[in-house]
Amino acid sequence: MATIAIDAMGGDFAPEEVVKGVAQASLETDIQCTLVGDELRIQEILSATTYNPENISIQHAREFIEMAEEPKAALRNKRHASILVGARLVAEGDADALVTAGNTGAAVLACVQHFKPIHGVRKAGLASVYPRQTEYAGQDELALLLDVGATIRCDAMELVQFALMGSAYARRISKVPNPRVALLNMGSEESKGGDVLVQAHRQLKAIKDINFIGNIEGNDLAKGNADVIICEGLLGNVVLKMLEGLAELVVDLAGTAARENWRWKLGLMMLASGFGRLRDLTDYAAYGGAPFLGFERLLIKSHGRSNARAVKNAVKVAAKAVRDGVTREIAAAIEQL
Amino acid sequence: MVLRRDKRRAPEPPRVIVFRWDLDKTYLKSEFESLRELVRIPFEKPEDKIAVPGVVPLIRGLREVATHAGRDVRVYFISASPPQIAKAIKEKLALDGIEYDGIVFKNQLQHLVRGKFRNLREQVGYKLTELLKSRAEMPPESTEILFGDDWESDPIIYSLYADVLANRLATDELDDVLDTIGVDPKLIVQAKELAAAARHADVVARIYINLERRTPPTHFRLFGTRLVPTYNYFQTAVCLYQDGHLTLPAVAHVADNLINTSGYTPERLANSLADIARRDHLTEASAIAVREYLRARGLLPRRRLAGVRASLWQRVLRWVRSKPATSPALHDTINYQTLVAEWRGTR
Repeated sequence: MATIAIDAMGGDFAPEEVVKGVAQASLETDIQCTLVGDELRIQEILSATTYNPENISIQHAREFIEMAEEPKAALRNKRHASILVGARLVAEGDADALVTAGNTGAAVLACVQHFKPIHGVRKAGLASVYPRQTEYAGQDELALLLDVGATIRCDAMELVQFALMGSAYARRISKVPNPRVALLNMGSEESKGGDVLVQAHRQLKAIKDINFIGNIEGNDLAKGNADVIICEGLLGNVVLKMLEGLAELVVDLAGTAARENWRWKLGLMMLASGFGRLRDLTDYAAYGGAPFLGFERLLIKSHGRSNARAVKNAVKVAAKAVRDGVTREIAAAIEQL
Repeated sequence: MVLRRDKRRAPEPPRVIVFRWDLDKTYLKSEFESLRELVRIPFEKPEDKIAVPGVVPLIRGLREVATHAGRDVRVYFISASPPQIAKAIKEKLALDGIEYDGIVFKNQLQHLVRGKFRNLREQVGYKLTELLKSRAEMPPESTEILFGDDWESDPIIYSLYADVLANRLATDELDDVLDTIGVDPKLIVQAKELAAAARHADVVARIYINLERRTPPTHFRLFGTRLVPTYNYFQTAVCLYQDGHLTLPAVAHVADNLINTSGYTPERLANSLADIARRDHLTEASAIAVREYLRARGLLPRRRLAGVRASLWQRVLRWVRSKPATSPALHDTINYQTLVAEWRGTR
């Protein structure tokens, strides 16, 4: 069974929600969890909750990085930060993957410092999942978007590698046998988007192992026609934040409407189950986290606002990725290039 | 490496030691969460009944170690099951090779006939009176260790029993507590009579509660340090080793049994050991002794070279922060009214 290291001190609601999430995972699965952080605090939280101690170990780390800290400086000044200790555990083979809901920049840099890149990978990519329309029963309700911030700009080959990595991840984790890969662009025509995107399009089209369906535009993102969407980190991050912002805006507007007019309130109440479905779709806690791909070891990055359920699911995703050999699959795909 | 040798020696175990065991969920892995499972129990054959992992080698080890040391050891079982299933239970104990000196069953039929349906589920009055009756037959110098679970009221029953014997609970207070719990008035009278007649001495050294329901350990804080909640019988075994009732080979036997018959792994045992130490029920010296002994026998994972630095740091930290583990004879005064209210709130 996989051993997953969890940064107990990372996230807006850490360590309480992180520890509780791991406690839930310890009861529901056989995954060996190593909580990294303040040992006394972690045990205090565990002792007040329902947990299975047989599946939990604690690795003390006397420092942690705050969500708002500047990543580079924080890592330099806090050599014993929980994210660094966790990354070291994974790098040294004491754990198989790392989960954190903490500072994204620090997590990415900790992996860069400690994890060995997969041979041939030029840049690692941070993925994220987002809800999309489904076209058939049993289709995964989430699509994978990468990169969402590990890079700023990429060249064509790097985008191609993202496509291979994302495709391998979707094959293993989403169980899509032949994931449809698309390039996020400003038009569906091959010639759109400048040299890098045109070149990437051409190269992706030529790779037989990828089910490349061409370019997609922003308004196609929420449709179900692509399983993996590739873009540069700058663009991916903007898209991701906009999707989150829109979801919050809809909830906010609905709340305002309900307060201002009783008819609207009544209407919203009638639509409650529909809103519930929408909330389920956009509930980050349901999918736990998304991977940082390109290293021999795996990082699963959870949302900063992760609650116990999100952390539990992130641990499960990490264990599944380890069990299903995601990094081996990626290495094999990159080697084919 | 040992940073600090624990100077406190385990107390010399008493000449006569009594181990009292609850049966369901403590010795037997009884499943009665659904009506179907409950109905099935009377029809189970002895070989169908399953012991809680690790309990059989633990009881055998306790007897062997005490006998080897020339001590008089007694093992008693107390069950809330009806006498109609006594035969199957006794055969199961024989199959497991458990020698015992007495076993008590609850006469449920009597309550049914008298229409006292509430008494069918109420165990405090029944168990407390049975324990006090049995105590009257024990040698006065004997010390007791009690084993129960978190399923119903074992922590309260055992603590009441211990404090009644130690004369820490006045008759009026016992009356109030049993009344609050809802014990049958006749049993309250009987319990008070038995309590008054008991030879008062602080005889209960430790109460072990098997966390079958995974009740959070902090829910037991009002019970004081005499009560030790444990998640498995390996944790119980290491605490009994610390108190001088088991040897390291006996602890190893429990660990080996868990690995070979119940699907435990050395990692799961290592995590259990670390957990009971972090919860301050085990001194650092005892934890190290157990760890080193079991590691040498392949029952705990070997230390990885890469982890040595972190491990050293953790040990230094624990040493700096170390508080004495729950050593024997730390009997706190319990406020039973608060305790009963809180315990019920968690059920």
